[in-house]
Amino acid sequence: MLKPMMFLLGAAALIALPHGLSFSQQEILVFMVINILLVMSYRLLTLTGEWSLGHVVIMGVGAYASALMTKNLGVPVPLGMILGGVAAALLAVLLSFPLFRMKGFYFLIGSFAAGEIIRLIWKRFREPFGGVRGISGIDPMPDFSIGFYSFDFFEPVSYYYFAGAIVAFCLWVLWRIEKSPVGLTFHAVHWQDKLAQASGVNLRAYRTLAFAIASGFAGIAGALQAHYVGTVNPNSFDIEVMVFVLTWAIVGGTTTFYGPILGCVLLTVINEIVLRGMGFEQARPLFYGAIMILSILFLPNGLESIVQKFIPRKSAAKSDRKAEA
Amino acid sequence: MLSKYISKGFTRRTFLKTSAAATAALGLPKVALAAGEPIKIGFLAPLTGAVAAWGKPGLDGCMIWAERVNAAGGIMLADGPHPVEFVAYDEEYDPAKARTGATKLIREDGVSFIMMLGGDPWPGVQPVAERTGMLFSTLLPSDLSPDTKTLLAPAEVHPIYNVTGVEWLAQNKPELKTAVMCAQDDALGLPSVATYLAAFEAAGIEMLDEPLLFDPATTDFAPVVTRLMAKNPDIICLDTCYSDYVHPIAEQLFQQNFKGQIISCTADFYDQMIAKTSKEFMEGFIFQFPDFDDPALNAENVNFQDPNGFYAEYNKRHPGQWGAVSWEYASIMDLWKVAAEKAGSADPEAVLAAMKDGPGNHAFGEAEWWGNELFGIDNALVGDWPVVAIEDGKAVIKEFRSIPDWYNRHGDLLIKHMQAYGQMWDQRG
Amino acid sequence: MMELLAQTGLNAVYAASYISLVAVGLVLIFGVMGVINFAHGELFMAGAYAVVALYADMHLPFFVAVPIGMVFVGVLGLVMERGLFRPLKGNPLGGLVASIGFLMILQSLAVMGFGVRMEHIPPVTQEVWRISDKVGLPVARIYVIVAAVVLLSALWYFLKRTRFGWALRASAQDPEAAALQGISITQTARIAMFIGAALAGVAGALTAPLVSVNPHMGHSVIVTAFIVIIVGGVGSLEGAIIASVVYAFVHTFVTTFSDGVLADIVGLMLMLVVLIVKPTGLFGSADRA
Repeated sequence: MLKPMMFLLGAAALIALPHGLSFSQQEILVFMVINILLVMSYRLLTLTGEWSLGHVVIMGVGAYASALMTKNLGVPVPLGMILGGVAAALLAVLLSFPLFRMKGFYFLIGSFAAGEIIRLIWKRFREPFGGVRGISGIDPMPDFSIGFYSFDFFEPVSYYYFAGAIVAFCLWVLWRIEKSPVGLTFHAVHWQDKLAQASGVNLRAYRTLAFAIASGFAGIAGALQAHYVGTVNPNSFDIEVMVFVLTWAIVGGTTTFYGPILGCVLLTVINEIVLRGMGFEQARPLFYGAIMILSILFLPNGLESIVQKFIPRKSAAKSDRKAEA
Repeated sequence: MLSKYISKGFTRRTFLKTSAAATAALGLPKVALAAGEPIKIGFLAPLTGAVAAWGKPGLDGCMIWAERVNAAGGIMLADGPHPVEFVAYDEEYDPAKARTGATKLIREDGVSFIMMLGGDPWPGVQPVAERTGMLFSTLLPSDLSPDTKTLLAPAEVHPIYNVTGVEWLAQNKPELKTAVMCAQDDALGLPSVATYLAAFEAAGIEMLDEPLLFDPATTDFAPVVTRLMAKNPDIICLDTCYSDYVHPIAEQLFQQNFKGQIISCTADFYDQMIAKTSKEFMEGFIFQFPDFDDPALNAENVNFQDPNGFYAEYNKRHPGQWGAVSWEYASIMDLWKVAAEKAGSADPEAVLAAMKDGPGNHAFGEAEWWGNELFGIDNALVGDWPVVAIEDGKAVIKEFRSIPDWYNRHGDLLIKHMQAYGQMWDQRG
Repeated sequence: MMELLAQTGLNAVYAASYISLVAVGLVLIFGVMGVINFAHGELFMAGAYAVVALYADMHLPFFVAVPIGMVFVGVLGLVMERGLFRPLKGNPLGGLVASIGFLMILQSLAVMGFGVRMEHIPPVTQEVWRISDKVGLPVARIYVIVAAVVLLSALWYFLKRTRFGWALRASAQDPEAAALQGISITQTARIAMFIGAALAGVAGALTAPLVSVNPHMGHSVIVTAFIVIIVGGVGSLEGAIIASVVYAFVHTFVTTFSDGVLADIVGLMLMLVVLIVKPTGLFGSADRA
């Protein structure tokens, strides 16, 4: 019964974690947890072999939708977050019609163009999107108490527990999806699309499904962020943010479930804590860029490849199927 | 105000930090010159990325300010002199990072005051300001709202002062009857468009065309200039463009043979604009930001400490980097220093009370706390503002003009145009 | 009205020239290396900063500074080929990440070396070739147009008429078959990277006196270049040139007759429509990408 023990220990460590950190590190932790959901939802899309440059904009769709619904329609915040995810997923279904006419590089750039158009729409239509300044004064998650702990959502620790629980649940769902027959089909769509098609798999439908699910979770991540920071604007979802998500995924590696998490955690800690702490203000992007290059040169299969070396053969064999192909 | 957040999130660490801040504020009697606990001031602005030009030069100016103040004995509080030091955090013009930075500056570094550029990052910081009662300043008054009593816009009330340039032009060159305008489509450009429209309407100058908006990513301005010149305007107004746009636009106006009047909010590095065009072309160019070696700044009414010396020192250390933001953050510090010394304490609440007690000593003269109609709160410091013209290759202050005077006569026009562009405080999303 | 049309046409010709220099470089690199060079805008920026250093600061003649800048950026391309893309062969996503890292490094170096502010470059010439009082083309812009025509013609000649060019095209079409023909893939990769980077560099160097040179100027250039190569069809040099012209004319005319923000939206819509109607671009072939 080693497994449940490990699990409990891990959970306890995650609960204790923020108490060992400084205030600003707690803030960074909150955003990191949200970003983990973002990069993990991105990974689901990449399972089908498509790399998008519009994922952060889709996250923004969830953030805008939840912010507008709670602000203008009086929807309660938790429901708004879910609806934000739904809105992002629905938009993804809509976008899939033009975008899935393309593959590979064309899909990459096509998704970028679609994202830019969405951002221009936010900028252009001051009603209801608030134009270039976006929306501010978004309702925070209402405080509540569960007996032994009262949540004060201004405090990063409280929001970390709240967002952490939601993200953990979402990750569990993503895990279940990947291990289900649907998830296996996603892999098949990527690696053997001709074969999958021949065996009667509707490729387009599965691609759309993966895109919608990934977008839905990205939308939830966006809503989580919007109700914490209290503001959204078009610039918070631009290509530079997307570049960070892309590098977390690639530097971490996407063949395993934990790869993108590793990438996100490590690169965030390096950029936000280590490099800031060392006082390289102007040179921070220089070191970050150099670290990115070195990691991709020396760990072309991502940080996950280090972990895989140390994991017993049994579990490694499981991911062989993916890693080899 | 501090008690408010101790009661909310009380931990040992908060206690240590706040008591450290409190000792910094109250301190112990010290005899030596500026030997008290240093007073820390937060600088929360973009230092990297595309907006860094609005933060980094300001921090450079603050460093010079701190050296000069410390050399002169520091900040004189009730318990004696204290040196001042700046703690910077790069918020990358991102609301989430700005929130993290504000938390760090307040709860870990124990700063007494935080200066921001404002704009997009401000709404992320706003809850932190509300909860901690920390005193903040912004360069963009459009961040002001009745929700945050501790946010001030004490340096420049952009873009309202732009009315002074238009009014001066209408009085001194009445033969100019028509105008067109271009602006970048962003948080800085749009309120400025509304202001210039109001100012032109008040001055009886006819707009020949809708304002031409361009994307902030524009690099080639030939098409924009061709469009501006198409209707043969007497005046071309460049709105509040960044110098990255003002320069190429001026160069194109020159190349495309424009002969009329140009008016702009800024003309940073105008010497380079002259080099790109000609002295004759730039003659009479109207804008709003003087050089700090202008003799008019040594007048009695100007409160900026030793503007000429500051300008010389800045240019020595950072040649070619002088611009509006170089002095604006430092001028806020002048104002803060006066208030802290009046209050005898660096405590945010006390400084705020001292600052807003009566008229403020704005860089360009005594000014009043104002803004209720536009921002929902009287937290913008408004008074006189200089109208600057380029004469014989050098920026010259033509006149200090009163912004409140103009507003009392034409406030309704300003509100009308601000509403049309969705820029009133109660219209913001 | 005629004058307005004529002036706008001249503006568009200039825009088409520098855009096509950048876009052709990007296409060449993608064609031969199979990676998307995200740092291409920063190569453009590096060319502009070379002119800042050599012409504005060290007072070398402009027409000495530009070729040096061009070669300098070409060498940066060689560095990228050797240091990043060769080790990451067969890993296009890795190449993408590495080029993003390189982009950040170049931007930081520019900030640290020259400051965050825009740079001043004295005008090379203030002459204007005037057709009428209202219509004219500054000579500095004519230089850019002439350079684009000469360099792109030379490239065309090189690709179609020389052995190197033949090897380059062969390996762009089918690297394995090319290798079987005895073409050195490394050698062609080196040449492609040098030329591709140098084209971006010369565009940056020549336009430096005409635009605002700052460390982040590459961003808007790369976005435009992406749109152009998609419309033209990735991997097609002719397509890139034609798409540059189309895009420049559409964007310039919409800016002048409506506004600049709308011009961006129209540009993106143009690209999306092309992608939907013909997903491989106007001149692209289906199997590449």
